[in-house]
Amino acid sequence: MGGLQKKKYERGSATNYITRNKARKKLQLSLADFRRLCILKGIYPHEPKHKKKVNKGSTAPRTFYLFKDIRFLLHEPIVRKFREYKVFVRKLRKAYGKAEWTGVERLRDNKPGYKLDHIIKERYPTFIDALRDIDDALSMCFLFSTFARTGKCHVQTITLCRRLTVEWMNYVVTSRSLRKVFLSIKGIYYQAEVLGQLITWLVPYQFAHDHPTDVDYRVMATFTEMYTTLFGFINFRLYQTLNLVYPPKLDSKAESELKAEHEEDYAMDSESYLEKLSALSASLARVVATAEEEENQLDLFPTEGEDQENMQAREKEQKEQEAQKRLFEGLKFFLNREVPRESLAFILRCFGAEVSWDKSLCIGGTYEVTDETITHQIVDRPDMDKQYINRYYIQPQWVFDSVNAQMRLPVEDYFLGTTLPPHLSPFVEEKDGDYVPPEKLKLMALQRGEKPEEEEEDDEEEEEEDEEEDDVDDEELTEEKNLKKMEGTRAQGKTLAVKVTPGKVKPWETGSVGNKVRLEQEEKAEEKRLAIMMMKKKEKYLYDKIMFGKKRTTREVSSLRCAPNGCKATHFKFEWPSQSPDLNLILRCCGRT
Amino acid sequence: MAAVKRLKRVAALQPGFISFKWSAESDDLNSGRRKRVNKNKKKNWNKHSDIQDVEEFLDDVRLQERTTGLCFLCLLEVQERKKGKKSKSRPLRIDLILQHDSLVPPPKDVLAYQQPNAKKLRRIAENAEKLAAMGVLPRRQKLLLNRRPATKTSKAKTAANNFPDRPYYDLWGGEGKFETADPYYLEQTGKSCVKRPEKLNVKPSILPAVEVIAPGGSYNPDFFSHQALLLEAHEVEVMRERAELRIERQLAVKQEDTATEETVFEELVEGLVEEEEEEEEEEEDVSIRGGLQQEKKTEKERKRERADKIKSQQKQAARVFTDKKQQLFQLRSIQATLKRREQRTRERVAQRKANQEAEKSMPRRLGRLKFQAQDLEIQLSDEIPGSLRTLKPEGSVLKDRFKSMQKRNMIEPRERAKFKRRHKVKYVEKRAFREIT
Repeated sequence: MGGLQKKKYERGSATNYITRNKARKKLQLSLADFRRLCILKGIYPHEPKHKKKVNKGSTAPRTFYLFKDIRFLLHEPIVRKFREYKVFVRKLRKAYGKAEWTGVERLRDNKPGYKLDHIIKERYPTFIDALRDIDDALSMCFLFSTFARTGKCHVQTITLCRRLTVEWMNYVVTSRSLRKVFLSIKGIYYQAEVLGQLITWLVPYQFAHDHPTDVDYRVMATFTEMYTTLFGFINFRLYQTLNLVYPPKLDSKAESELKAEHEEDYAMDSESYLEKLSALSASLARVVATAEEEENQLDLFPTEGEDQENMQAREKEQKEQEAQKRLFEGLKFFLNREVPRESLAFILRCFGAEVSWDKSLCIGGTYEVTDETITHQIVDRPDMDKQYINRYYIQPQWVFDSVNAQMRLPVEDYFLGTTLPPHLSPFVEEKDGDYVPPEKLKLMALQRGEKPEEEEEDDEEEEEEDEEEDDVDDEELTEEKNLKKMEGTRAQGKTLAVKVTPGKVKPWETGSVGNKVRLEQEEKAEEKRLAIMMMKKKEKYLYDKIMFGKKRTTREVSSLRCAPNGCKATHFKFEWPSQSPDLNLILRCCGRT
Repeated sequence: MAAVKRLKRVAALQPGFISFKWSAESDDLNSGRRKRVNKNKKKNWNKHSDIQDVEEFLDDVRLQERTTGLCFLCLLEVQERKKGKKSKSRPLRIDLILQHDSLVPPPKDVLAYQQPNAKKLRRIAENAEKLAAMGVLPRRQKLLLNRRPATKTSKAKTAANNFPDRPYYDLWGGEGKFETADPYYLEQTGKSCVKRPEKLNVKPSILPAVEVIAPGGSYNPDFFSHQALLLEAHEVEVMRERAELRIERQLAVKQEDTATEETVFEELVEGLVEEEEEEEEEEEDVSIRGGLQQEKKTEKERKRERADKIKSQQKQAARVFTDKKQQLFQLRSIQATLKRREQRTRERVAQRKANQEAEKSMPRRLGRLKFQAQDLEIQLSDEIPGSLRTLKPEGSVLKDRFKSMQKRNMIEPRERAKFKRRHKVKYVEKRAFREIT
């Protein structure tokens, strides 16, 4: 014993944390400035594990920061700028009060400003780091660019956001990197693959704003300030990778085409270029003029065995992607005035289509409705007066569904005035055994290359498919049983000749190709059986359990899918818009209480 | 009005007119005794200054103006100005005195006209002319020409970050400016930034930045996924209702707490009957305790106690010994318990790990308020639009982004600061109202 008495809260977690107010005082900033600084530098509050210890015995809820983080903040040059700004405001107010107008002018000229470039560089040391974190920036900029210029935030911020988003959309169009689109009740979700990174963002519908009161606009504006800086640098780099001119310029050819007489009617001179860019109907100018995008071929290396298989798979995947990129190539669209122009133009241009719209709708339309070469006209009204014979009149959902299905869907379901099939979310990935909506099954069949025979037989077709699926399940079950039997005999020490279970010939494997496929399948089954045989008792038990669970889910799903009384799930879709069915009723219908 | 004032002033200045002072003096003469008036108030001025004659004069002027068209006054003014000019052009007396008035001219200073080294300078100039004709510049001029144009030192103004046409550059492209220099120098001069700790680049939550809405949130959803979303929203609503009910239940007055006749009577009678009994009991207690303390153990008793104690200790030791012996035969069960215990710890570890994993994606408690998720965006079955044109968007993207940031622990949940009045507002009935009521 002996020595100095240990005092409480002078070591350990109590010294690792600092409360917000103390941190604020240490930095000599107001709360608003402190909050701004934290957002800009990416320093977030932290919840300590032992709150009472950290809070020096008190249990009052407080906001804590890590002490080291705050110490790091002390070195930030922007802190000084904040203080300078504070002084500037004070001086300005004084000058105003004394009515010294020359002084006011002089002060205004010397208004202190700050740059965020070094912070961006510090937070994202490499370009890929920044690209990974761009989701937030995209969503925020798209959101701010749709704000009305009513003084909720600076008009300049809105304009900058608009500029950056237009640049981004132009990049995605040029690089053809859009992958998925989802029209939700909240907004439109997009997903693009940029330099191998999947980037998701949300775009609000136009004119959909009510400004919620419980959102701190100042915080949002600060985030936007940081994100616009980040976003601009990323855009620059992305344009560089494609050899495009930054800030974007329209192709000289396109520019001359777009020269309209009524240009002044749309926007001021300063704005009209941005408007033209945002129309997305023309391609961008490149630094080095290239005639055509060269196909980027996968490097071929001599490989063996598994690697080769991987290689083939990769090659196939790439081919598919290339095909997807050219989804709408060669088609000519015309957008009616009631459809959301920007999103449709964006998507269609992303997949290589030509788009135009009415002259009065927006700047940048390249051809008229009367053009005979138009293949599709996108319409969202119950009826059209004047129709051309040589084009399809389709509803906008066709475009979105086609993009998600990675193929041009049959247009019949989307004709003018027909009830649309449901718009499925492309972001859901069903595991095997989950319930898959019948529409998706149909779509998958389409993707495999099957053709629905006739419009009238559509329902039957669906039923068949369902049966088919069931058959497949049954097959698997029988296989399992066989396997078990065999394993039993193995256990007794008898050898058994390899038996081929007679598999059903599936419709897509008829002909000479079918034989090959079947052989492959048999091989796979054999491998699986061997693997099961090699299992330990414990693992076997687990495996059985898993299989049981799977079977149960499939049973449930099948009961869901082929609803009782012979009524198919698709029939519901005609019912629900008219009245809202009770959930219990539906569940009862499906035979589950 | 202003014109009239000016005229009044002018009239007072004219030499041919009677001044205020004069009128005042005449007043004094008339009255015999001087009347003292404070002239620091406009009112007094108005009252006590006689402006009768001024008015008359002005009337006269107006009349003249009307009849002749030219103002008599203006003429006067012009004349005066001419006089003033003349007087100014005359030289000052002192200058006249200092003027040279001798008839003999002063001697000429020859030296003032001579130049030192004139010959040399002339030759140099001639030489320079010759060289210039040949195109050779003198050294000084050459140096001037060779000098670099002064760089503009005006402070580069930093444009605001939200300047719409702000330029961007390749931030990640080139090498840093200061990387070649001495790191110690940079650090001391504050030219290098402090390195960001690696730990700060870890995101506070593993949730994705943009969470995609469930498939039931499609504008034209599949039936079952829509029902699933509705069910989810329904459950949320049920939970909320339950919480409200719980609070209400806790607040409700219990049936037992309400006063009946019996309880009222009991309360009235309380303390009248039972007091005496209690006192007696207390007295007894005290006597018993006192008795025990006073009793003293005998030697015999102590001995017996000691022996008992030793005996019990021995017994205990023997018991422990046999137990240990017996444990040899319990090995299997002991092993089983050990196994069970280990199993339990393993399970707990796994559970704890799972909890920690789950916590990574959960919103933390960062301030006074807890995170509250926003309401689920749903559209009821009868609200689902048939087409994209008739879609009515649900919820607000702005709020969604804001809540997402809170959920990812980037900002602490806050509520809007309420306006608090420092002092009470005193109610004063306005006079206008008071008259009516």
